[in-house]
Amino acid sequence: MSNQPDRRDLRNLQDKTAIVGVGTTEFGAIYRDLDPERSAYELGLIAFREALRDAGLKRTDVDGVIVSRLPHYGRMCEMIGLRHPRFVNVLPGEGRQSGIALQYAALAVANGMAEVVACIYGNNGRSAGAKYGGESRGISTQAMFEAPYGMTSPGAVTSMMFRRHQYRYGTTTEPLGHLAISNRANAALNPNAVMQRPITMDDYEGARYIAEPLCLLDYCLINDGGVCFIVTSAERARDLKHTPVLIHASSQASDITPVYVADDFWHEPMSQIADDLFANSEAQREDLAFAQLYDNFTPTMLFTLEGMGFCEPGEGGDWITPERIGLHGELPLNTGGGHTSESYMQGWALHVEAVRQLRQECGDRQVDNAEYGLYACAAPLATGHILRRGD
Amino acid sequence: MTTESATPGLSYEKPLPPVLELTKPFWDGCREGVLRIQFCNICDLPWFPPAEACPRCLQDDWEWRPISGQGTVWSWIRMWQKYFPGWSPDEYPYTVALIKLEEGPYMYSTLVEIEDQDVTCDLAVEVDFRTVNDEITLPVFRPHRV
Repeated sequence: MSNQPDRRDLRNLQDKTAIVGVGTTEFGAIYRDLDPERSAYELGLIAFREALRDAGLKRTDVDGVIVSRLPHYGRMCEMIGLRHPRFVNVLPGEGRQSGIALQYAALAVANGMAEVVACIYGNNGRSAGAKYGGESRGISTQAMFEAPYGMTSPGAVTSMMFRRHQYRYGTTTEPLGHLAISNRANAALNPNAVMQRPITMDDYEGARYIAEPLCLLDYCLINDGGVCFIVTSAERARDLKHTPVLIHASSQASDITPVYVADDFWHEPMSQIADDLFANSEAQREDLAFAQLYDNFTPTMLFTLEGMGFCEPGEGGDWITPERIGLHGELPLNTGGGHTSESYMQGWALHVEAVRQLRQECGDRQVDNAEYGLYACAAPLATGHILRRGD
Repeated sequence: MTTESATPGLSYEKPLPPVLELTKPFWDGCREGVLRIQFCNICDLPWFPPAEACPRCLQDDWEWRPISGQGTVWSWIRMWQKYFPGWSPDEYPYTVALIKLEEGPYMYSTLVEIEDQDVTCDLAVEVDFRTVNDEITLPVFRPHRV
């Protein structure tokens, strides 16, 4: 691996940049109010406005914009009156891109290409009737070699991986139930969450299958919303309204194949990320006050925990207990309710929850001693960060 | 099982693959009862799904070669959600399997001549074919006959 950069150089970015403002739409309220005319840009605009207010910044302070799931940066910049940005990027509407948006923003700010970067996400999927499956036209691999068999949807490929995990390690669906129940319990303490009615193991076991072995309660929601976070230098952050949340360490790794699934359940990329993060941080696993783990489907959290070394490969099923992952447990997971209960903002709202926990603004769901927190997304293109509460 | 020969005269509403210049040899092979994938003539690497060049050599010196049709079930699901038209109510849940071909590449398909309760990961399977229409014959997999 002689062409690999020295991963210790990642330390050059440690605590150089910070998230200084976060904003979201009201997830629960608009879930109950479908609007076919609702645009993703409008949702991004609302979130941007909230994030600016949260940061105590003016619109004109922003000189960089990264948008995701929004089709074009131009329309977003027009709508927020940003005519001359110095750093612009557009990322596709994939969940794995939320962590990458933060990485680009941090790199741009740390290297002087922009001073204040707004990362803006808008998702009108529910109003637009998105199903996240059933695409059968065109000349994609999906259309040519999967749809003829009825194979479709990210949930189905995750279900394939989980079935393989069951076969290889004897894992049951019970830990998935614990994850879904824990997410919902956290969402019940989050006034902004879409799903707030607690669920039990009976509810989980009785839920209808979507792509068996996974059931409805293993799946993310489909809802509308917008999210924005604003990144600037740690130095400038000190003069702003809130305690800054520092980007302490961040890393990316991948396993890109034609069939999405990974024979090692993404152990290799997730362990590379964990190695990078913990080699470039004073914080180790036991110092993390929480982990916000990408949960498009519950097994993704299990794969992440194993891949990042919280337990050994195959032991995730035993490791995941209600006591351990609850708000006052050893490693509270998805404290805002995650994608299965709070909001399906493709990782963006998980970042916001991480910021609010580190700023100790989370009320009844606030975890203890929130100084360091983890975000991680296991996928063919994987990311992870340790965020730290600044001074 | 889940994929059956279409009865002539009845409309087939399940998704059908477009046949491209790149993929035509694959579908021609299936129609002839031969499973073929691309192999690099320089380094002998096989790959699937089709692509314009060898992912290792990056050269377009490749050919379609018949493969053994043997493989194993890497994993499988039962699909309950109605994402597509064309599956009748009594076909749900239908089975989708991810086959690891003996030569290395993976291929989504379905399983025939086996009941769901007998399916397991790493089950040895071999290719079979189901004619859909004059142009398309789909490869499916059945338990390996010892």
